[in-house]
Amino acid sequence: MASLKDIQRKIKSVKNTQKTTRAMKLVSSAKLKRTEELARKSKVYAAKLTELLSEIASKMANANCDGIDLPYFKNAENPKTVDIVFVTADKGLCGGFNSQTIKRVNLLLKEHKEAGIESRLVAVGRKGVDYFRFNGVELEKSVIGLSAAPDFEKAAALISEVAKNYLDGKTDKIILVHNGYVNMITQEVRQNQILPVDYSNLELNSVSTSELAIEPDDNNELLEALVKKYIEYTMYYALIDSLAAEHSARMQAMDAATTNAKEMVKSLSVKYNKARQEAITTELIEIISGMESMK
Amino acid sequence: MELLKLEIVTPNGVIFDKDVKQVTLPGSEGEFGVLARHASLVSLLTTGVIVIETKENKTIAVAINSGYVKVDEEKTTCIVDGAVALDAEDNDISKALESAKELLKSTEASNVAIASAITKVEQMAKIL
Repeated sequence: MASLKDIQRKIKSVKNTQKTTRAMKLVSSAKLKRTEELARKSKVYAAKLTELLSEIASKMANANCDGIDLPYFKNAENPKTVDIVFVTADKGLCGGFNSQTIKRVNLLLKEHKEAGIESRLVAVGRKGVDYFRFNGVELEKSVIGLSAAPDFEKAAALISEVAKNYLDGKTDKIILVHNGYVNMITQEVRQNQILPVDYSNLELNSVSTSELAIEPDDNNELLEALVKKYIEYTMYYALIDSLAAEHSARMQAMDAATTNAKEMVKSLSVKYNKARQEAITTELIEIISGMESMK
Repeated sequence: MELLKLEIVTPNGVIFDKDVKQVTLPGSEGEFGVLARHASLVSLLTTGVIVIETKENKTIAVAINSGYVKVDEEKTTCIVDGAVALDAEDNDISKALESAKELLKSTEASNVAIASAITKVEQMAKIL
């Protein structure tokens, strides 16, 4: 039986934890609002860019039978090397947010291993870096500090480097994995093939079927610029999406923690009151029996 | 006069989405104007100014650094990296002009292109 003082101390400590978790929840919800706004805005841009790219690509593929001879679109029959770029948070305390992404990456690694494909990992975010370092998995590249503050320039630089490997033939495929934001209470692991650009899967709402005039006349120049922008922006958007999801996950985790702490305080208070009553009863019995013996 | 639907999208969201009479765009191969029912077209945009003539016969200038435009029968979509609008209804046009100049200067385009774009922005600001 814990002493009264012990219980009191424990209640105090739980209450302190509760204060911290509540504050973290508030901070996260404020940050979430901002990030969500950012994500909402960039989503339009990302969608338009994808739409434009897929429309041009499919039209050009239809126009000349030999398809597009840009390396960005060449689908390797048997990919030998695959780069996996994945985004995790720099900080923990956000429930299963990071582990879900890591789980997916592990699954991919396993699949690739079974298929005899070499996988190389590019980690963004401290949690992912730490996890794979701890498990002795070699990382091709690791970036820390980018997932907490998405920056277009940095994101573009990172993905361009990965894309350069692709163009040089060092890797045959680039996959981007991140945990994305669905709504305040749901996150979803998203997996995107960045390169080669898989335009057959891109949604096409073929509004106009008419001939498309392209300027400058060199199709490849425009398409190349567009693809570059597309992958850079996809990377950037993944970072924003991931950040929004991180905040929502943390908000949820901290909300749950606050509720749990509240319940704990409640049960500890009951325990404390019981112990106190017990002590009083014991004291009373002692006094009464003492008085009885005096008679 | 027939109107065309114009949409300007930046990484910070949609900044313009209205029916307009005419729009002039800084294409990489030269400036061109788009009216309603223009043939389908895709073009690179360079550093310059998008001039919009609204259905109320007002002029709006939007300074951009670079981007793409897709014109089809239904609407014209500009996807640009950065844009600053100079609108006559805006109270603080000198401030907008400053940020437009800053945006133009920050691009990687040639000095000539930047200089001509800046001159154009200044001219537009005077008219507005």
